[in-house]
Amino acid sequence: MTVYSIERLALIREVEDALYREAELADAHAYDEWLALWTKEVLYWVPCNNDDIDPMRQVSLIYDDRDRLEERLFRLKTKHAHSQNPRSRLIRTVSNICLQDFDAATGGTVTSRFVLGEVRLERQTEWIGRMKHVLVRDNGQFKIREKRVFLVNNDIPMGNLTFVI
Amino acid sequence: MIRYQSHSSATLSGKEIGLLYEGTRVHSRAYTDSTVYEIEMERIFSRGWLYIGHTSEVATPGDFRVRKMGRQPVIMIRGRDDAVRVFMNRCRHRGAAVCEVESGNTKFLRCWYHGWIYDTVGKLVEVTQREAYGPEFNQDAMGLTPATRVEIYRGFVFASLATTGPTLREHLGNAAAMIDLMVEASPIGELAVDAGAHKTVYRGNWKLVGMDGYHPNFVHASVIAAWQRKQDSGMGATHRDDPFDDKAASRTRDLGNGHAMLDLTAQRLAHYEVYTKFLRSVPGGPEYMEAMQKRYGEERAKLLIALAGDPHVGVFPNMQLINNQIRIMNPVAPDETEVIMFPVRLGGVSDAMNAVRIRQHESFYGPAGAGSPDDAEIFERAQRGMMAQVDGWIDLSRGLNREEREPDGSIVGRITDEVPQRGQFKRWREMVSAD
Ligand code: FES
Ligand SMILES: [Fe+2]
Repeated sequence: MTVYSIERLALIREVEDALYREAELADAHAYDEWLALWTKEVLYWVPCNNDDIDPMRQVSLIYDDRDRLEERLFRLKTKHAHSQNPRSRLIRTVSNICLQDFDAATGGTVTSRFVLGEVRLERQTEWIGRMKHVLVRDNGQFKIREKRVFLVNNDIPMGNLTFVI
Repeated sequence: MIRYQSHSSATLSGKEIGLLYEGTRVHSRAYTDSTVYEIEMERIFSRGWLYIGHTSEVATPGDFRVRKMGRQPVIMIRGRDDAVRVFMNRCRHRGAAVCEVESGNTKFLRCWYHGWIYDTVGKLVEVTQREAYGPEFNQDAMGLTPATRVEIYRGFVFASLATTGPTLREHLGNAAAMIDLMVEASPIGELAVDAGAHKTVYRGNWKLVGMDGYHPNFVHASVIAAWQRKQDSGMGATHRDDPFDDKAASRTRDLGNGHAMLDLTAQRLAHYEVYTKFLRSVPGGPEYMEAMQKRYGEERAKLLIALAGDPHVGVFPNMQLINNQIRIMNPVAPDETEVIMFPVRLGGVSDAMNAVRIRQHESFYGPAGAGSPDDAEIFERAQRGMMAQVDGWIDLSRGLNREEREPDGSIVGRITDEVPQRGQFKRWREMVSAD
């Protein structure tokens, strides 16, 4: 039987909160607040065709460093991102949150799963997948340094993925 | 699912369907009507040359890829004899698909309905419990059915299901030289189509994905705003003066046979210095420029480097070469189309440079890119709008008064002119009207 210390339980809650908060802001298209959850250097990666690809030789759905991520959000905030006008209405549930190699003082890796329902115009789409976050303790808060999203449907034809996944 | 297609009450003949295009306008039923779609499947997608894939996708014997010719499932496979073939993906016994996975390497294709086995050259090598068949059963004649005609141009594999008709070279015509522009972006003249694919789908007719130089400033206004923010970034640099302004030096070209392009040559050459400054900063960039000059000579190399492998050409009916990608358009229904985008890697080029090209592709194309989703969105709006069929003609006359004919027969217009649309519909009309 695994016995969790109060400290461990508190840490798990804190990490869960960090992921829930991110999900909340992403669903709300609150791009500036969402970006504020990240560290200065970032990797936001959504592989394509397979979970296990070499991004230097193969195409990804998203492979953003900070510059590219800022550009992505800048574009979404303009009035002319037609595929987000009207915006997708989103609800995502994050679960199966597991801390891997995680240190309360510095941070570490968290794996999780999500189900995301999207409704836009007359269409309802489900997006499902796994996530892997690297969180680092920064000024007391956990910030996101890396986020990988492994979509179950990353190898079949898909519609627009223009919101924050 | 809500559909955006209509059904004519009276069956239209191919000739009548051809009349939906009148030279300056086309009736929206050409996009929405299911009878039109059926005729297109029969006369364009089962008769004409279709792009299937690239030989580098099946680099070693036994490599295969599952593809579609219109609605028909096919397999492109490299045989043990090293030849690339295209077979119908259908067991000769009772018709099950013999290949379920999208790609792979195999010695044999086994149909799991009753266990028949074919080899990589399509031969039926095993019939389970063979003794149940008499002498009239000719096993040698029961191999996988090959596509009627298969021809390869510089690694691009095309197939046609018609026994007669133009050769691939005749069909490609002026477009062959545009394919060269992509192939020869490699200093060794080789493409590797091995970087995966962006697979997208939109709810609109396949003919909506055309070559249109009129839309970028509207559909892609958000991207242009982002580029203007960073004028020196790779993409920003090549779009410094608006290449899609009516007064721009860029041109539209109808190459004949339905092939059409946005000819960005003048624009790209004008920004050669800015672009190559960026290129030189990429590891392997200076070596690339040198190798290109050595292989193709100074003048041709300059053109090839400036275009960066982007002929921006549509090869009728199902292939486009845009930016760094080969695209396949698969019609699924009158109101549904898949667009599969294969970024290419250039042979004889540094990994760093190919990686930069893949990043540039991702920034604009694919389901999460800055450009493709807005294209798809607008195609869907067009499909929805065209369901309104009172006064259902759409206008394609832009630039008709100022287009010019070149000595090679191609028609040239300003970048915003509807020269490509007219070129594509001209070919479309010929094909749907032919009995
Ligand atoms: S259908 Fe293939 S073995 Fe019977
Ligand atoms: Fe576009």
